[in-house]
Amino acid sequence: MPPRPLAKINKIDPVELKMLKKRIDIAMAIIIFCASLLLTRLWYLQIYRGDEYAKLAERNRIRIQTIAAPRGNILDRNGQPIITNRPHFNVVWNREDSPNPDEVIKDLARILNEDISVLLDRIRAASENPRYMLTRLKEDIDWETMAAIENKKLSLPGVSIEVVPSRDYLYGDFAAHLIGYLGEISPAELEESRYATYSGGDQVGKQGVEKIFEEYLKGEKGRNYLEVDVHGFQQRQMQRQEPYPGNNLHLTLDIELQRAAEEAMADKAGAVVAMEVNTGKLLVMASTPPLPLQEFSGGRILSSAWDRLLNDPLNPLLNKTIQGQYPPGSTFKIVTALAAISEGVITPETTFFCSGGLHFGNRRYGCWKKGGHGTVNFQRALTESCDVYFYSVGQRLGVDNIAKYANSLGLGKKTGIELEHEKGGLIPSKAWKQQRLKQKWQDGETLSVAIGQGYVSTTPLQLCRLTAAVANGGTLYRPRMVHSITAPDGKTLKTFDSVSEGKILGSENSLALIRTALVGVVNSAAGTAKVVALPEVLIGGKTGTAQVVHLSQVSGMSEKDIPYKYRDHAWFTSFAPAEKPEIAVTVLVEHGRHGGSAAGPVARAVFKKYFELKGVIKPAPEATTPVAAPDEKDE
Amino acid sequence: MLRFDRRLLLNIDWVLIVAVLSVALIGLVNLYSSTHLYTNAGLPLYLKELTYYLFGAAIILLVISVDYRVLLSLNYPLYIAMILLLLIALLFGKNISGAQRWINLGFFRLQPSEPAKLILVITLASYYYRKDTGKGFGLLDLAVPALLTVLPFLLIAKQPDLGTGLLLIFIFASMTMFIKLRRSTLATLLCGGISFIPIAWKFFLKPYQRQRVETFLNPENDPLGTGYHIIQSKIAVGSGLIFGKGYTQGTQGQLDFLPERHTDFAFSVWAEEWGFLGSVVLVVCYFFMILWGLNIAISARDKFGVLLAFGVVSLIFWQAFINLAMVMGLLPVVGVPMPLISFGGSSLLTNLASLGLLMNIRMRRYMGTS
Repeated sequence: MPPRPLAKINKIDPVELKMLKKRIDIAMAIIIFCASLLLTRLWYLQIYRGDEYAKLAERNRIRIQTIAAPRGNILDRNGQPIITNRPHFNVVWNREDSPNPDEVIKDLARILNEDISVLLDRIRAASENPRYMLTRLKEDIDWETMAAIENKKLSLPGVSIEVVPSRDYLYGDFAAHLIGYLGEISPAELEESRYATYSGGDQVGKQGVEKIFEEYLKGEKGRNYLEVDVHGFQQRQMQRQEPYPGNNLHLTLDIELQRAAEEAMADKAGAVVAMEVNTGKLLVMASTPPLPLQEFSGGRILSSAWDRLLNDPLNPLLNKTIQGQYPPGSTFKIVTALAAISEGVITPETTFFCSGGLHFGNRRYGCWKKGGHGTVNFQRALTESCDVYFYSVGQRLGVDNIAKYANSLGLGKKTGIELEHEKGGLIPSKAWKQQRLKQKWQDGETLSVAIGQGYVSTTPLQLCRLTAAVANGGTLYRPRMVHSITAPDGKTLKTFDSVSEGKILGSENSLALIRTALVGVVNSAAGTAKVVALPEVLIGGKTGTAQVVHLSQVSGMSEKDIPYKYRDHAWFTSFAPAEKPEIAVTVLVEHGRHGGSAAGPVARAVFKKYFELKGVIKPAPEATTPVAAPDEKDE
Repeated sequence: MLRFDRRLLLNIDWVLIVAVLSVALIGLVNLYSSTHLYTNAGLPLYLKELTYYLFGAAIILLVISVDYRVLLSLNYPLYIAMILLLLIALLFGKNISGAQRWINLGFFRLQPSEPAKLILVITLASYYYRKDTGKGFGLLDLAVPALLTVLPFLLIAKQPDLGTGLLLIFIFASMTMFIKLRRSTLATLLCGGISFIPIAWKFFLKPYQRQRVETFLNPENDPLGTGYHIIQSKIAVGSGLIFGKGYTQGTQGQLDFLPERHTDFAFSVWAEEWGFLGSVVLVVCYFFMILWGLNIAISARDKFGVLLAFGVVSLIFWQAFINLAMVMGLLPVVGVPMPLISFGGSSLLTNLASLGLLMNIRMRRYMGTS
């Protein structure tokens, strides 16, 4: 059966066929053009710009987790660790591994003894993070909790323990102002070029040597390379670069001395500085009350705690050794004495009569000893701290001469210690007053300056350095608190040599006279700091009382009735052994009233410890500190 | 009853069969790589696609066993069926992520806009064949085919599926340009078409469609939003470099950075894993197949065969070109699959039927002419 013709089939006529062929050719040309366009595009994407796209593809799939590096240790001058690291255990949560998060979180909350909403808040806060990122649920858990979690590991999918190195403060608040603390890097800091390699959440030194030596202490972060998919799910671990610990910082401090000083200052607000007189290296740098480091642990401080610290009348946030500026009071008589002898306005034999006060202009300038010292020579004037003697000497010198010697002894300017926010104190002169206050200098003011009152102010560190220069025969050193920096493998990277700032004004002879007088302060019957004396070692020193308010405001009040904040500050600055001085110790007790009775015993405790460690004093078990309230033999 | 002519077997188009088989093989191999990590219920997608191929082979056998001229009498019934299916999809169809494109047949989810493309080709070829007077078509002569195109276009654009809709316009334009037009008509059409674009932009495009075009023009403006597809696809293609990352080793595809990697962006997976060399092989195979189609068109025994073959070629070419240009970032993301390479039953069966039609025309080039 032949097929039914579907429709009449007409062969295409040749003319039309030719035309159709032409059109097919055009279509072919268009198609080939399009194909070449696509091939060119492929060449462009895969070859010409291929490397660029390959990099983008890598960036898509590879995520880098950073691993915190253990920070360098901070050690004392003998290599005793002060601050090290300890592993800090955090509970972390991996969303990817947990099919049934609600149950797990409930169980976990029970183990951690934490409210479940706290944990859920943390998870919620992290919900925007990529999925491979672990969420911290609780920081720094203790061993028991960790053991409990490890035991229940199988029923807690997604929960694991993260080990992070964190600061271990072996002695608590020990030397806290000097050492400082860590905190989470702030947005402002992240902008700074020196923090270019940091990222949000990193811990950085915020204060003290932790901040200043951040670069050395921080170490190298490790890196963990993960392959992730588009949802952030981890696919596999690619490579891991272990962190490298930071370098160790060796301070010039001596743990034992620092501790002796801090213990002696335990119930006092103030500062203690001890320095090697021949190098400028600091042995003790204590400011009390200490910075409460535990408030800063974890890198954060609660704003309530911060407010409390800020408003504390004892000012724990202030490093009083370099930031506290106090009138030096009678300790400044060392400067006046040096200027007077060196300038020749008096000889050691020059005497003045002290009747308990001096009339000058239309005012009477009193001596602390109301009955007067009688006829005093240079030696007695320093030993018994006669104000009238120094009024007279100051009158002869003039304020600018005093300022010249004070400046040469390093007062009135920053000492140049590496710590931040150091204050320079103030040494007035005629030019200074004219410039700052636009007033002419009054001669009477010179009298106040001569006994360390009026405009004069110094920091405890400045006074300690001054004492060291007097003790070592006239060389002023820059204070140092860091001895060296060593790599984790023990190699020394950097040592900090002592830096001399040159000779002070004044002859060796006049310094010797002053030292003799200062030994008398501690060791003679009429001395103002007899309480400091040690039988085995000859100590020289000078007491000082710095008026906080003008005498008239509290006149007529018995000492006990004067409110704390109006009480005088107590100074004691000293050196030992007198024959060949090694160490200078300066103590300031805020509102401690009397240099000898309040500040002296602290210095004594430091000296005692120092010479015990040297074997000069046998460490006999001392019953109680024999510091019964001494006779009010102060200024 | 049909009597099978021995000459038909002698004239089987082995060239086209080999070309289709190579492209199909590449498509399947690539589909395994892009879907082997999927955890969908039921048959793995590459096996599903393989069964579609078996169906498709049966359809090809069916298509080549009947003289293509039967379509001259079937074109209107087919056209009406297509319009009905499109209406059903629009009114009762399955809504998947906001688009009303599918009719659920239980064993198969039919996307009527796919066969619609082929039916439009048949309809237009039949119309132009019948109305050809040899004097060239005037503007008024084009009113009917234009209407025939606009009706399914509107139904598909409403789904909304602008990509497929535009494809119908492209097919209409290609086939209309191919027949003999009067010069004045051609000029009017060109002017009219160009002036229509801004009107369409303003009144016919939905905001998301406009956004896609805007994103295409500047994808880096919105890297996580609508620009994401283009950027990730370019990264996938570009990072393949010369030799590719290796089979199933593509990071962009395997780690899910590439969206729609088994459908619209299947070629990106291939380009990433096989590199420039593999991509060139695929593009060359593909365009050889298309050019061979034109060869079939010009060697057809009658003008209906020429028109039909040309229509089929334009159907496959435009899909492939739009898809490739899209995954390489040369065109906006419009959701046109690449025939034989992208996963999808309706699309595969339609394209295989189209290729079957080409084979049909080729086999009968010497037959029945008088």
